[in-house]
Amino acid sequence: MRPRRHRGWRQRTSLLALGALEGREADEARAHVDGCAGCAEELARLRQALELAALDPVRAAEPPLGMPALLARVNARLDAAAAARPRLAWRTAWLLPAGALAAGVAALLLLRPAPTPPAAPTGVAETQVAVPEDMLGRMERTVTRAQTARYLDEAQDLLLTVAAPRPCARQSRRVDVEQEAERSRELLARRALLVGTSGEDVASARPVLRDVEYVLREVASLPSCARERDLQAIQREVSRRNLLMKIDLMTRELKG
Amino acid sequence: MEQSDRDLIARLARGDREALGPLMERHHRRLYRLALSYLRDADEALDAVQEVFVKAYQHAARWDGGSEVGPWLTRIAVNHSIDRYRRGRRRRAAETPLDEEAGDRDARLTTGDPSPERRVLGREVGERIASALRSLPERQRSVFVLRHYDELALEDIARVLDMSLGTVKSSLHRAVHRMRERLEGLR
Repeated sequence: MRPRRHRGWRQRTSLLALGALEGREADEARAHVDGCAGCAEELARLRQALELAALDPVRAAEPPLGMPALLARVNARLDAAAAARPRLAWRTAWLLPAGALAAGVAALLLLRPAPTPPAAPTGVAETQVAVPEDMLGRMERTVTRAQTARYLDEAQDLLLTVAAPRPCARQSRRVDVEQEAERSRELLARRALLVGTSGEDVASARPVLRDVEYVLREVASLPSCARERDLQAIQREVSRRNLLMKIDLMTRELKG
Repeated sequence: MEQSDRDLIARLARGDREALGPLMERHHRRLYRLALSYLRDADEALDAVQEVFVKAYQHAARWDGGSEVGPWLTRIAVNHSIDRYRRGRRRRAAETPLDEEAGDRDARLTTGDPSPERRVLGREVGERIASALRSLPERQRSVFVLRHYDELALEDIARVLDMSLGTVKSSLHRAVHRMRERLEGLR
């Protein structure tokens, strides 16, 4: 077979290996491969590579968050967008200090308000002005950073509590971590609802957030009366990762 | 009676957020795997899926009723993942994750309870594939991901990526050869 003609079949061999050809095209490609030793060899090599690629865990990966939590996150994002867009009572808003304004937006995001905010009791005719996009962006960033800092603060409290466990009343040589495990589950649920933590706003916090999430999962999986050595293993992990110090530094950075 | 995707999008266009649940139930896993194949990070992929449905709700009124909903969502997911991938490239380079972190993340990528050998192989394959995918030009990466992970027909890939069928075929051909070269020696 002349090389030029042969080259024309290479693309079809690739597509055949991928199972992307159908009907007559697939039949023709198979017939060609049957009569071409080089093509058959190439097809075998490509199939082998694709079989390996099929082992990629991503192909069967499950989202780490259940549907209800994911739906809640989508709704929270939509609420945030809806809360950001409506025209605000500009004059009243400017009277608020920046911190109170950020807290107000945080409350709006968390409490999922109706799209239109209630009228402010100013007694003065209000000028309805659309909030500039860049300012809304700054407000959202402030809220994301504040929420992340609060989450890390609370996670740090929990890790400190875990470091000083109480003996379990029901079983000897065990420690009572029922409350800590429950609190870890709550914090993990909160983490799932944190919006925008993969964005640039808290990019520097992501490694700490991952470490914290890892340790919280370990605590959350403990039985209410846990073995001391299991708890010690978690404490060693916290210490090895310098997690308390990292949380401290990160919350300071986030709080500015 | 179960509503079709079109009915659900029509409800979203009217501002009915209740339609998000069933729509997400149908598509979120597929879109998650698609985003994960690009981004190779569970948190990033989850955020991408979240944004796909936020955009689906926000743009439902502008959805072209003549097209299918699945490919429309896929297109949003692909575009969003590409944007996110570009934005994250610099950030990823700056981050130096803990050694164990990669393991934690890989563990989250696996499913069920595979044998230790298979888990190790899966992890190694996952890392090699991630590296091989990164080496592909954007167009080749997109067509390969849509074929290999989403198993779309060539015509659907052409529609989703707004390419000619010929371009899809040639890009896929180049992509699969490059992937073979990159995965050689693994096993």
